Parts: sequence; C-alpha cells; structure tokens
Amino acid sequence: MDFERSATDAAAEATDAADSPPAVELDGVTKRYGDTTAVDDVSLSVRDGEFFTLVGPSGCGKTTTLRLIAGFEEPTSGTVRFAGSSVAGVPPEARDVGVVFQNYALFPHMTVGENVGYGLNFADPPGGVSRDERVAELLALVDLPDAADRDPERLSGGQRQRVAMARALAPGPDILLLDEPMSALDAQLRERLRVQVRQIQSKLGITTVYVTHDQEEALAISDRVAVMRDGTPEQVAPPRTVYRKPSSRFVAEFVGDNNVFAGRVTAVDAPASDESDDGAARTAAIDVGGETLRVALGGDGVATEGGDDVAVGDRLTACVRPEYLRIGAGESRLTATVESAEFLGETTRVTLDWGGRDVVVRTRDPLSGEVAVGFDPADAHVIGVDRA
Amino acid sequence: MAADTRLRSLRDGLLARLRGRLLTALAAVTSVVLVVAFYYPVGTVLIEAVLVDGVPTLAVFVEVVRDPFYFGELARLFAGESPSAVARDLLGPDRRLGIVGFTAYQAALSTIASVALGLPAAYLLARFEFPGRRTVRSLTIVPFVLPSIMVAVGFVATFGTNGTLNAVLTGLGLPRVDLLFTLEAVVIAHAFYNAPLVARVTTAAWESVDARAVETARSLGAGPIRAFYDVVAPQVYPAVLTGAALTFVFTFGTFPIVLALGGFELATVEVFVYRLVRDLNYAEAAALAIIELVISLGVLLAYLRYEAKNAVRSRGAMPLPRKPLIPQSPSLRGLFTRFGLAAYLLLAGLVFLAPIASMVLASVTGGDGTLTLDHYRFLLDRQRTGAAFQVRPWPAIRNSLAFASVATLIAVPMGVVVAVLTTRRYRGRKLVDAAAMAPLAVSGIVVGLGLLRGLVFGVEIAGWRLAATGAAAIVVAHAVAGYPFVVRTVAPGLAGLDRSLIESARALGASRARVIRDVELPLVWPGVVAGAAFAFAISIGEFTATVVLATGADAYTMPVAIERFIGRRLGPATAMGVVLLVVTGLSFVVIDRLGGETRGL
Repeated sequence: MDFERSATDAAAEATDAADSPPAVELDGVTKRYGDTTAVDDVSLSVRDGEFFTLVGPSGCGKTTTLRLIAGFEEPTSGTVRFAGSSVAGVPPEARDVGVVFQNYALFPHMTVGENVGYGLNFADPPGGVSRDERVAELLALVDLPDAADRDPERLSGGQRQRVAMARALAPGPDILLLDEPMSALDAQLRERLRVQVRQIQSKLGITTVYVTHDQEEALAISDRVAVMRDGTPEQVAPPRTVYRKPSSRFVAEFVGDNNVFAGRVTAVDAPASDESDDGAARTAAIDVGGETLRVALGGDGVATEGGDDVAVGDRLTACVRPEYLRIGAGESRLTATVESAEFLGETTRVTLDWGGRDVVVRTRDPLSGEVAVGFDPADAHVIGVDRA
Repeated sequence: MAADTRLRSLRDGLLARLRGRLLTALAAVTSVVLVVAFYYPVGTVLIEAVLVDGVPTLAVFVEVVRDPFYFGELARLFAGESPSAVARDLLGPDRRLGIVGFTAYQAALSTIASVALGLPAAYLLARFEFPGRRTVRSLTIVPFVLPSIMVAVGFVATFGTNGTLNAVLTGLGLPRVDLLFTLEAVVIAHAFYNAPLVARVTTAAWESVDARAVETARSLGAGPIRAFYDVVAPQVYPAVLTGAALTFVFTFGTFPIVLALGGFELATVEVFVYRLVRDLNYAEAAALAIIELVISLGVLLAYLRYEAKNAVRSRGAMPLPRKPLIPQSPSLRGLFTRFGLAAYLLLAGLVFLAPIASMVLASVTGGDGTLTLDHYRFLLDRQRTGAAFQVRPWPAIRNSLAFASVATLIAVPMGVVVAVLTTRRYRGRKLVDAAAMAPLAVSGIVVGLGLLRGLVFGVEIAGWRLAATGAAAIVVAHAVAGYPFVVRTVAPGLAGLDRSLIESARALGASRARVIRDVELPLVWPGVVAGAAFAFAISIGEFTATVVLATGADAYTMPVAIERFIGRRLGPATAMGVVLLVVTGLSFVVIDRLGGETRGL
C-alpha cells in the first residue's frame, strides 16, 4: 500500500544533503534556434555519481539538453556548471565528458582498438597504465576482450554499442553522456544491455546523463528521472516517485499505463483512523460522469498543493495505475464494459468502456461483458486541484 | 622546475592556439591565391569594358549589344526598334543570329544531342546488369577529363576529308561527306564531352530510386509504364536537368573544339573573345566576355533556383533490381528494348570510340594510306633539329607534367580548405561557395589575359615591380581552374559525414583541426584522390588560358603543341595526341596507385 523508498532513492537524498556542488548543473538554461525554443529555462542538477535520465517524447528538448552539457551547443542564455564552475565557452574536447551516440559513431577507418584508444591521444590513461593496457582494460569491462583488432563495421549492433561505451570511458571522463544508446537495438538485447550499462556505471561510479524516449528504460536504469515536455522538465524525481506520484497529467500518462480521472469534489471526509497514521488522512469523493470515486488526500504528493484544504466544489484530478484496479473489489467502485483485451503473457491488459471513458485494468483471467472494478482510495494519487 | 612547467604549459597553450588557427590561416592563404590568380587578373580585364581612357562608360557595352554582328536581329531590339518587327524577322528565313545568338543556338543543339545520347546510356547503366557494367560506369568520367584539343584532333581524324569516316564510306561505295568546319561536327564533339556527364548524373539519380516506391505504386494499381511515369521519372528528371544545364554552360563557353573544328567561320563568343584579344581590342573583348559570363551565370542561377525548390534526394535503401542484358524469356517488349539498346551501342561506339581510334590510326598512317611511323619520327626530328621558335615535343611533355604536378599540389589543399569551409554552417556560406566556384564560370581567355597583363607583364606595388614568369602564371591558372573539381569531389563526402563522428572525436579530446586530420580527411580520402586526378587532368588538358599565356614563351604544353601542329599537318598532331593520351593515362594510374581507391564525380 505504502510505497517504500528504494535504497538508491535514499542514497540519492543523502548525497543531496551533503554540501558538495552538483557534478552537472543547469541554471536557467535556454536554447533557441531562430524562432523555436528547444530548451526553455531549464534548471537541473545532477549529483556526483548519479545515473540521471532525461526522458520525454521526441522534440521535448532532451537531446539538446545533453548537447548543451557536452558542449556541442552553447546555451542562448543561462549557465551550465560542472562541479560548481561554469563551462561557458569551454569546447567539448576540454570538458572531460564521454559521449555515446545512438548510432555509436565508431570511426569506420579505425579498428576497434584504435577507436577505444583514440581519446588517449589527448589524455594520459588513468591509473598510470599504458595505452594498450587501458584499451584492453576497457574492452574487458564491456565484455569484448578479444575485439581490439576487429573492424567496427563487422560488429553486431550490441557489440558496437559496447565499443562506443568503452571508447567514451577510456580517457576516464568525469561525466558520461548517453544519447539514446539503445534505441537502434531490438527489445531483448536492449534489456540485457541496459543491465550491463548500469553495472558498469555503478562500478565506475561515474556521473551519467542518459537520454531516452523509452519511459520503461528510464525507470529501469536511473537514480533519478527528469520527464521533459516542450523544452522543460515536468518532474524531476526518483523513478518510483515519478511512477507513483506523477506531478502532472502529462507525466501520469507518459510514464506507464494510467487511468486519469477528473471531477468535482462532492465531499471531504474526516480521517477514518488516527492522524499519526502515515498521512493516510482524509479522503475526497469526486463526481466523475455521475459516479462517485473516492481518493485519498494528503500524503507527499498533493499536500503542499493544499491537500488539507481541498473543499467541496474544487475540481480534482487523480490517477490510479491499472495494476491497482481490482475486479469486484476495492472501496471506490465503478462498473464498465469490456472493450478490448491484449494478452501480454504475464497479464492481460483490458480496456474498459466506462461511460465513454477508457479505463485500463490488468488481470490474469480473461474478462468479458460488464465488470465492476474498484480501488483503494489510498492507491489513487491526486495530481492536482483547481480551486472552486 | 616550476618555471620549466610554466614554460611548457605556455608553449602547449600557444601550440593549441596555433592549431586552432590553422584552418583560418589556410583559408587566408587560399583567399590570397584566389585574389592574386583569379579575382585581380579577371578584374583588370573586365574593368576595360567600362573604363575607357580612365573614364567610366557603358559605351562599349551599348555598342556591342546594338551590333547585329554580335546579337543578330536582337541587336535591333536593343537599339530601340519595335519588338514585333524584330520578332517577325527572327521567325523569317533570313534571320541573323549574330555571334551570341549562334553561340546560344549551338549550345542548345549540343545540349539536346548530349541528353539524347546520354539518356539511353543512363537507362542501360541503371537498369541492366552485364559484365563490365561498373567499368563502363567509371569510364563515363573519361571523356570529361580528356584534353579537349586531343578530342578535336580525334574528330578531325574521324570526320576530316581524309578521315576514317570517309574511308569507310568510300569502302562501302557511298558518297563522301565533309563534316569538318560544320555545325554538325561541333555538336557531335560537344556530345562526346557532355553526354557522359548527363549519363553519369542521371544514372546516379536512377539508382537512388527506391524499389519499394515503385512496388507501392504497382500495388496501388499503376501499370509498369504508369509507375515509371509517376514514381521514377520525377526523381530522374531533376538529374537530367542538371546534366542539361551544365552542358549548356560548358558548351556556351566552348573554345578549343570550335577553334579546331569550326574555325572562325563558326566562331562562338569565346573564340571571338580570343580573336579580339589577338587583335589587341581589349575593351570589346572584355565587354563580350562579361556578356558571356552574365548569360552563363544566368543559366546556372536559374537552374540552381529550380534545384533548390525541387530537391528531393532520397537515397533508396533498396535500389531497383537490374535486368540481365540477355533476357531469359524472350518477349516482344524485351526484344524491342534490346534491339534499341544494340542500335544505341553502335552509335555510342561511333561517337566515343571512333575519334580516339581514328587519332591513333591516323598517327600511324602515311599520306598514301600505308602504315608508317613517320609522324613519330617527325616529332623526334623536330626535337633534335627544331629551331628555337619551333614547337618541340619534349619541352611540351616536360612542361605539361611539371605544370600539372605543381598545379595539383596547389589545387588539392585549396580545394580541401574550400570544401571544409563550404560544408560548415554559418552566415554567408553561400557567398563563400559562389566566390570559390566562380572560376568554373569565367572564360579561360579572360583569366589567361588577366594573368598575362597583370602578373606576367608585372604589377607595380609601392614602387616594387612584381612580375611572374609565364610558367608560374600558367601553373596558378591551372590550379585555379582545377581546384573547384577538388571541392566538388571532397565536399559531398564531408557533407555526408555523420556529425556524431566529429562530435565523438571532440568529446574524446580532439580539437577541431585535429578532427579534420584524424577523422574527416581519412574518410573522404577517396574523394581527395579523385579530386587530385581531376586537377591533374584539367591541368594537362587545359588549353584556353595556356594558349594565351604561352604566347611567345617557351612555356607551351602538349595541348598548345597539338594546336600549333594541327594548323599545318594532321599527322604530327595525331602523334602528339597519342603521346598526350599515353602520358595522361599513365599519370592517372600513378595518382590512383599513390592515393588508393578512387571515386568519380
């Protein structure tokens, strides 16, 4: 019922408490190309050693943000800082960043070993090893120990991706920037590689900024996620928070499956149990298309928005994940008709028609006809309130 | 110790800054070369047209434009006569075209002939599979780089009164024809040059048509002909237009072909500019050259505007499958097509191979029709006993090779720098591109004349008299004529380079200049080698500027030597032509070996 914080979330917060400057900081950064604003007044900070992901639909400004960090673009206004000092005017080659592109950009006229060793022309290998040793070390790290003499054109997509990773890491950069590094790969390989990428990142403890349009990948791999839309982050939070407590309707619907309801508050109940009980305080009844749903107020999500003083007549938007909707159970109930079903293997994703609204549930058993579904008010998350 | 480290870091910083400025420095050097070898000389010539006795005037222009000798009936229009009367006379049988009109007329005919001869070749190369297809495709670049004066000799040997064509006709008992000094000969020679160009650009476009687009059209109900019309033709058509526009511009400014095959009776603008220059009538020559330039640039500009509007360059992921040349199952339509292609091959063989074969044949044929090495012996004798004022073969060969080598060494770095500059994105890039490409459009006569009067006769700057030798002027003229081809072979590769390759290298610590050295140049190297081959070939074959600059000097090259022989006796000219062919061929092999794999335009 209550979502516990993961160890990584807690660790991230702990680092935040320490007063060291963030590894990467964007302060009011805007990037315009002519009339279009690709990145709009973004302020973000990435902590030292953190795996930070920018996720969003295409055109949301995530790649431009990454390019601003890499130094391929200079901001129109605002400042990018690395460990507290501005990098304005510092060319990419002097920023100590490692970059992996979607197409890997391996130099086709060099062998794998020459590719990995290229950055060592400009920096001594870290750890006082020789150039060859460093190349071998990195190829071993990405699990391609014997590939040094191979032609990059003859590698598979997954192998190329790992060579690109090794090449970016070889000079020992401070920051690793990954721009959709898996999107050219098939689904199974992608899942395998993302585990590997995360393992390597953890092992090296390198601050990483990752760009993807795949929200599932973002949740799976990151310490924290910034969900971007129209050049601005809508929410910056650990994956669990983004998933369970989306800060806006856009985030709620972009990340995973969701059922978003909006309606007028018809009643606000006093807390059923003791006040001290974990904020599971009051519930509000909202009228959605003539039926009444109950959602819990308070908690972390909406409290600051004034969850305590939600009043009758306010317009309230809330969401419930499909996996929290139960067939024929739950305090807050609605009755709907089965419209379509997709068999996904472990579950079946059923779309119900509820008075013209789509409601998505996940079940193990096939459904048909009219079904009653319900949820526990505490499993609903209030996204926002419009005061009456 | 500390001082030492500081010194070193200071030095490193300075070096890094120098490297950062390397490109700027190279660009500056390139600009200086262009100004000295092109813009300044051309400017000094063109200014003559509007500056008479130090007074600015348009009188020379007005005179040229109103002279029916140049503009035919149109001149009357410029002189203020009513357009309807002029139009009536233009449609009449006794119309006069004038030199400009005739030049445009022959260019239009040449363009039609080139497209007519080039399209079937493109069809054959793009749609059929046969042994040697790739070789033939590569060979389509050859006519373009063949020295024009050599081609002219080949045509004289083929179509002349005693040429191979008449020999064949006599053998068949048919009447002889005299094509020399006719418009037909000029047009065929132009087609020889430009049809392969049309074929080349069209083949490339045809090959890039995506088979799936055609399949989609077929599945939607279009028959094969309709699918061709709706899907293939719109993608091929712009390329045909490219070939046609370039052909028109090239043939509008034609010089050696007309000089050798047309004589002054069929004078085009460029030939007449040359004649005016020889008569020391610089003002009128300049005015005429400017008019020529304006027309050429007008056509190019109109075409570029069209291209910008209609550019659809999709690279077909899946090209159309090629048909075998010998059909597996004979059908009427298949047989018809093959019959047409066979007829075309015969014609193409006649146009492309006959001139070269005839030249070789003529070089070993005596006046009485027997095989002989007399013409080569003549060259050797001339080498041994020739007087100082006579053209001797060895200096011509030596000069050609030396000029071409040095010109290539200048043209390649210039071309690479311009290619780098014109593939970057910045304001005014188009202007840089146009300024750098201008040498392609300006008359070689004007460049030669400008260099002659500006550099060779000397310039006085702050009391110092600067003068270059004829040889040096020829070398820079050749370099300036050749480097646009280096740009054209290198720039597409640079522009097509994946940006993330460059960015990856930079993120790994390479400076911008270092990325050019480590990543961009190695990847476009085949283009650089092809560009070098072009520059070399352009220099070896360059005739127009050279003939102006080599006047009186001993800086003559093989093409100039051929021209001097051709007026008196064809035999030695053909022998010299064969020597030029062999030297050019060998040079290509050497460049190819030095640079590795080559790639065409």
